[in-house]
Amino acid sequence: MANQTRKPENGSEPAHKRLRWILHIDLDAFFASVEELLNPDLRGKPVIVGASPAHRGVVASASYAAREYGVRSAMPTARALKLCPHAILVPPRHHVYGEFSDRVMVILRDFSPVLEQVSIDEALLDLTGCERLWGPIPDAARRIQQRVMDEVGLSASVGLASNKLVAKIASDLRKPRGFVYVEHGREAEFLAPLPVERLWGVGKVTAAALHRLGVETIGDLATLPESALVEAFGPHGAALKYRALGQDDSPVITEWQAKSVSNEETFATDQTDEEFLRHELLRLSDKVAARLRANGQAGRTVRLKIRYHDFTTVLRSETLPMPTDSARDIYETALALWRKHWQKGRAVRLVGVGVANLESAPYRQLGLFDDTHPREDKLARTLDEIRDKFGRDAIRRASLLRPDEDSD
Amino acid sequence: MKVSCLQDNLAKGLSIVQRAVPSRSSLPILGTILVATDGPRLKLAATNLEIGINCWIGAKVEDEGAVAIPARLLVDFVNSLPPDRIEMDLNVRTNTLHLKCARFEANMNGMDPSDFPVIPSPEENNRVSMDADVLRDVIRQVTIAAATDESRPVLTGVSVTVEGGQATFAAADGFRLSVRTAPLKETAAAPMTFIVPARALDELARIATDQEDPVEMCIPEGRNQILFHLSSVDLVSQLIEGRFPDYKQIIPRTFTTRTVMNTGELLQAVKTTNIYAREASNIVKLRIVPASDLAPAHVELNATAAQVGDNVGEVDATVEGQGLEIAFNSRYLIDVLSVISEAQVALETTTPSSPGVIRPVGSNDFLHVIMPMHITQ
Repeated sequence: MANQTRKPENGSEPAHKRLRWILHIDLDAFFASVEELLNPDLRGKPVIVGASPAHRGVVASASYAAREYGVRSAMPTARALKLCPHAILVPPRHHVYGEFSDRVMVILRDFSPVLEQVSIDEALLDLTGCERLWGPIPDAARRIQQRVMDEVGLSASVGLASNKLVAKIASDLRKPRGFVYVEHGREAEFLAPLPVERLWGVGKVTAAALHRLGVETIGDLATLPESALVEAFGPHGAALKYRALGQDDSPVITEWQAKSVSNEETFATDQTDEEFLRHELLRLSDKVAARLRANGQAGRTVRLKIRYHDFTTVLRSETLPMPTDSARDIYETALALWRKHWQKGRAVRLVGVGVANLESAPYRQLGLFDDTHPREDKLARTLDEIRDKFGRDAIRRASLLRPDEDSD
Repeated sequence: MKVSCLQDNLAKGLSIVQRAVPSRSSLPILGTILVATDGPRLKLAATNLEIGINCWIGAKVEDEGAVAIPARLLVDFVNSLPPDRIEMDLNVRTNTLHLKCARFEANMNGMDPSDFPVIPSPEENNRVSMDADVLRDVIRQVTIAAATDESRPVLTGVSVTVEGGQATFAAADGFRLSVRTAPLKETAAAPMTFIVPARALDELARIATDQEDPVEMCIPEGRNQILFHLSSVDLVSQLIEGRFPDYKQIIPRTFTTRTVMNTGELLQAVKTTNIYAREASNIVKLRIVPASDLAPAHVELNATAAQVGDNVGEVDATVEGQGLEIAFNSRYLIDVLSVISEAQVALETTTPSSPGVIRPVGSNDFLHVIMPMHITQ
């Protein structure tokens, strides 16, 4: 059923269960592909984007040529270079990738405003109801893939299905340059032969428990009675079964209706330097605040996420008396949480800052003790405009400049 | 211990001290109320270590003694007894209190009274006093502006400055400021300034409802505590350490528009508008319109809630200066207008993004500053 573009029969569906068209797009070996694009000498060669083994770096992205040697993302660079000694190691340049990512998102928005950017190289697009505009949706999906290639120069894998769950699994199936279209009504059939680990919510622990029940494929899971799953996994058991049948009605969440806005950063090497980590919090707070302002939102709950080197993850939050979209408020709150909850000296793999409890905020409550707020607000908005026009890195806080960084 | 008292008196005393019992605590003794003879009276005490309350009730003491009884048990049981004489008899060896009232009898397993934290009594020095009803009024007007979240602990308190014959109380939660000055019964020996938790003052105001004598306030040297002494109740509170922001800086010295309105009319109009505002971040917009050939001076209040709709209301006003549109948090307006007893209020404003000042007309001892809500686009 994959790689087909036959129109689905949708005549018998009840009106309230409108058929949806969800596209999942995933850029292939994204960081490595961008490096190849910018430096044609790298093309076709095994390229590893990651920090050097001297810094205990891990692979952020590997080209397909490197993957042939068994190199994978998140693997220590040292090990990757052992597997593929002649690989070319490139240090990551996240701001460059951000700009390429933005260009891809612009193309996607051309096709539908209902866009959920999942990460820097991944997005979901709801194309429901766009047939009048773009013709048959599977054809439009192919055009999207083609335009990303023609206009940005990047290859992407695309999954098209009736929901997010199936679209995501589909896009992952034939990487790179994959195009997998799952017809409406054939979701369960499509998923059945795949290993159960592919399903959302099936991690190592759940997978092991499922194997004990004799479940290897998603199809096996789908045939288990719901009661057996509920018994084994509690209330999540029932959800597992629906997912195995390819059912998922979660909506594509565009940012302006998001319940929270957050940004996080995984470090190439685990970090213990407090000064550096504080700078990261400031940088992330800036980003989150800018996104809130762009959405015309403000939020009351500031969240901090710390993931340690051993993947233990701490999530803490603090609720403010008034909603905010100011980087300073967000940073100060995140920093207070950080001081309270970071186990000093313990190596950190990832930090994240988020704001939840959002409301649209045409008005903001001014503070009594700082008359700087309206000015700061104006400054922040001016900076947003500059970044809009000249790019994300056109203007930055001086404290966020790193001595080793080129100002390209 | 062998004591008898009236159920009415005991129930009332318990209702006063139980407010200091913490809702949960890791120290079991804090979940109890101390019942002790004190001369010819019965003393009840409870504390959460931030505030402590002692209350004395009339009793007939036959044998002295003390015991700490679990608060819930004692309060619930006594409240459900008929209004009759209660006889209490303590088994000292087991700390069991035997209670008898009309045709009801009970045994309550208590705890060792020597484990109960000592609640200090007032001392003679550093003592000032105020009329009870003035103090109640002061507390009502000031604690509305105290912060309820703990992110800046000093802001959960009320700054009190005692100097000469008067005391100034101020509280600010970061968005509004209440300042009230009130006369003392006598001139203070030395100026003092300290921060009292707003929670303790609210409790004091509640306890002082039928107090007729002045309330004495006493700051014992070096203990970081304040003691309030009433006729039959002592309330002790920890003071908040730290520096209160210099609020005098915040009070605008000038204004460009002064709008006088009827307090009750304005309060009612804000409450009406709030039905919409509460659905939209509590934003109420005030349009101050000076008198013109077309219409007398008035203030228009409106609120818009995207999902609900919108509404507009009007009150009469006297406006000096230019017209202005300014938005406030409706909650804040309701809070302050509810504690002003004068018939008229003046709102002093300058720009839509600078603080508004509300003062009762004809009285100089209270003012309230509210930061507006500012349109961001």
